[in-house]
Amino acid sequence: MEFSHPLNSFSAPRDPSPSLSVKDESMDQEDIIATVLDFIEMEGTDDAAFNNVALKLFAYQFKNNEPFMKFARKRGKTPRTVKSWKDIPAVPINAFKTMNLSCSPIEEAEAIFMTSGTTLGGVRGKSYHPVLDIYDASMRRNFRDRFMGRYERIKMGIVFPPPSLMPNSSLAHYLDLAVRDFGINNSRHLMSASGIEFTHLFEDLAEAEQTNQPYALLGASFSLVHVLDEMARIGHTVVLPSGSRILDTGGFKGQSRELQQDEFYNCLETAFGVPRSHCINMYGMTELSSQFYDDGNISCPSVKSGPHWLRTRVVNPLTGESIPDSQTGILAHTDLAHFNICTTILTEDAGVAIDNGFQLIGRAAGIEAQGCSMAVDEFLKAASGT
Amino acid sequence: MNERACHLPGLDPTTLDWETLLFDKSGWDLKIDVPVITGPDVQSLAEHIRRHTRQTLATYPVRRIVEIIDKAIARLLDRDDPYRRRMEEVLPAITGYDREMLRLGLTQYLKSFRKPELQRFLAEDFPNPAILDQFQPLAKGGHGLAFGPEICAHIWAGNVPGLPLWSLVSGLLVKSGTIGKVPSAEPMFATWFAKLLSEIEPELADCIAIAWWKGGEEDAENELLAEADIALAYGGNEALSAIQSRIPITTRFLAHGHKVSFSLIGREAMDAEKCAVTARLVAYDVARYDQHGCFSPHVIFAETGGTVAPRQFAQFLAHELATLERKFPRQPLSIPEASSVADWRNAEELVAGAEVVGDTDGAWSVSYLENEDGFRPSALNRTIRVVAVDDLASVPIRAARYKRLLQTVGIAVSPQRLLSLSQDLGAAGVTRIAAVGDMTAPEAGWHHDGRFNLSDLVRIVEIDGRAFAAADRLAPYAD
Repeated sequence: MEFSHPLNSFSAPRDPSPSLSVKDESMDQEDIIATVLDFIEMEGTDDAAFNNVALKLFAYQFKNNEPFMKFARKRGKTPRTVKSWKDIPAVPINAFKTMNLSCSPIEEAEAIFMTSGTTLGGVRGKSYHPVLDIYDASMRRNFRDRFMGRYERIKMGIVFPPPSLMPNSSLAHYLDLAVRDFGINNSRHLMSASGIEFTHLFEDLAEAEQTNQPYALLGASFSLVHVLDEMARIGHTVVLPSGSRILDTGGFKGQSRELQQDEFYNCLETAFGVPRSHCINMYGMTELSSQFYDDGNISCPSVKSGPHWLRTRVVNPLTGESIPDSQTGILAHTDLAHFNICTTILTEDAGVAIDNGFQLIGRAAGIEAQGCSMAVDEFLKAASGT
Repeated sequence: MNERACHLPGLDPTTLDWETLLFDKSGWDLKIDVPVITGPDVQSLAEHIRRHTRQTLATYPVRRIVEIIDKAIARLLDRDDPYRRRMEEVLPAITGYDREMLRLGLTQYLKSFRKPELQRFLAEDFPNPAILDQFQPLAKGGHGLAFGPEICAHIWAGNVPGLPLWSLVSGLLVKSGTIGKVPSAEPMFATWFAKLLSEIEPELADCIAIAWWKGGEEDAENELLAEADIALAYGGNEALSAIQSRIPITTRFLAHGHKVSFSLIGREAMDAEKCAVTARLVAYDVARYDQHGCFSPHVIFAETGGTVAPRQFAQFLAHELATLERKFPRQPLSIPEASSVADWRNAEELVAGAEVVGDTDGAWSVSYLENEDGFRPSALNRTIRVVAVDDLASVPIRAARYKRLLQTVGIAVSPQRLLSLSQDLGAAGVTRIAAVGDMTAPEAGWHHDGRFNLSDLVRIVEIDGRAFAAADRLAPYAD
């Protein structure tokens, strides 16, 4: 017997037709990669073009990624019913922890990027990448457009470990690409297994000041806080040459002091002489293959936006419906570069749609029950303590 | 005009800073002004309350206190009374709960505090309630007299309407002075009750203070904890342990942590005739206060072997919740609340492999599972899990793991099984077993979290039995 209810539309009526019934337009991995790469390289794409690629990817993922297919079917979403990229069911990021989402055999993946596993009992969310061509193409084009300004290459210091130390970190891979493809020769990582290499960092900063060559400092937000703390401790500041810039990402995650954003960017400006307009925050996720950037942090919260192959909707997480501009909702991202898993994810980040981008408000979770009933998090904590 | 919360006898309101709390959840845009008080303010409040309580309330016979509370409750039960009218008007805006559900709930709740019910409160804890007024003979010999604390501190939490009334009334019945700290989520009910009591018995105006500060603000709170003879607090374990760490060791601390409750539906309640009624009652337990109460169910264990299978029962329940949504719509959800409901649905589906049904807007959700341990709290706001079990007798053993967190069990079984299941549930840590449908409305005088409402508050002063004999020796009429 079907467990269904006359009023129930949460699990909408299931589409009885097999997934390929409409017309078999399904593509293989090679075609899909070519399509996405072409799209990334295009200029002046429109809604229809985005939609077209999104629907192709949905059909491909629906056919080849079984857990995703089941997830979509439960919501009544199939290639037959999904007509717009906005209809593609958003996979909650928790699902990356519990399901093996992939269109290709996971054991053949070129890279597996994992989340840090700070929630759900330390289980880590995984993104399988059979090849990194698209990830890298997406990163390069977007990074060039949003961070590099007028430079082809710039001297870089990376305050984050290299991929050899963190093979499953998408951020390590991203920063490594940055330094390889956009750094001049003597650019380098400033973090090793033993921590931040302050001697190297201060050498590089001094050299930039002396030679008047612009310098780019990139790293996790919390690593930069450690750098700021050390510079404050020894009373050191520098004034980097004009054109220098800073990229931070990822927030503080309890790994450093928690700073208010304004305070953080003020400190960066004071310590490095880099104006807040040149302090760029990158917002990325292991569950995506592309990144968002702001255009500097003169005022916070900044407005973030993605490239033409990445779109964001601010949604009501229960209904999946878009929330009007300027009202807070949960961010759902559709990233055409995430071809092997699913294009659309439901994050746990709250945000507001604004000016063709969005402002990040913070984490949605962590509410306390208003009554005297126990909320899930507290229950799990209390139960494990008994 | 903004509502004004708090009642601070002895403090000049014009010398205090005021803040405004905004309640716009239900699209109401209600503003409530609250005075900001500091450590020294709490100190002078305590001094004031202590002095006046000694002179007035502490000298009242308990029956007089019962009369005063009874009058106050009678006014709140009268729908034309201005206080009642304000409660009906403002509480839905503060809490977001459905207006009609609140109105009905308020009446039912207040009925537990009328004179006969208050007498039951007293009788429950004191075989002879006159012990609160005068020395009374004790069963063991000697005489005893019960003293309430001069100052009882109440730190309330949450927005379940009327919750402060339990401890407020308990404090009054033992003639205690009150300093209550209201939560930002619902600062008005305690305020109104204090004002109303003051109208009925003006002397009481100086024996009760209702104050507000931001949760965890240590300056005022430390002062309160230092001044109090007994401190009562509600809230999550984290908040409670933060309070506990700041209480002098000589002060009695009564903590009511957050709790979870669940229901047991026996196969005898699941035949074609009885099932619909059972499901309606269970749905009511779920919908009332949108599961925010510690007595609200999170999981329903339904037994196999009836003519209606647990899976069908889950469907009945879904139907009843859909009906209730039309009658008493769930409160509007904030984005974090909506997120936690969405997360719960996804987690049920992804992690537990449950079948999940619910309406499109997420007003209610039912998940159904078999072969599962079954305990997991809901996301609140009408999200409920139905777990099929072959024998209800297996549930207490599963529940025992969560011993410290359990409170009420809603039950629908035959009389023969009621006592035996209850015994096992009690051993597992449950403190209250109620019929389904009654979970959210405890009886007057119930033992909240298994404790005594009144006798936990008093100190018994006893005259050793031999003292009378010894005194005889010194009597002028001694031979």
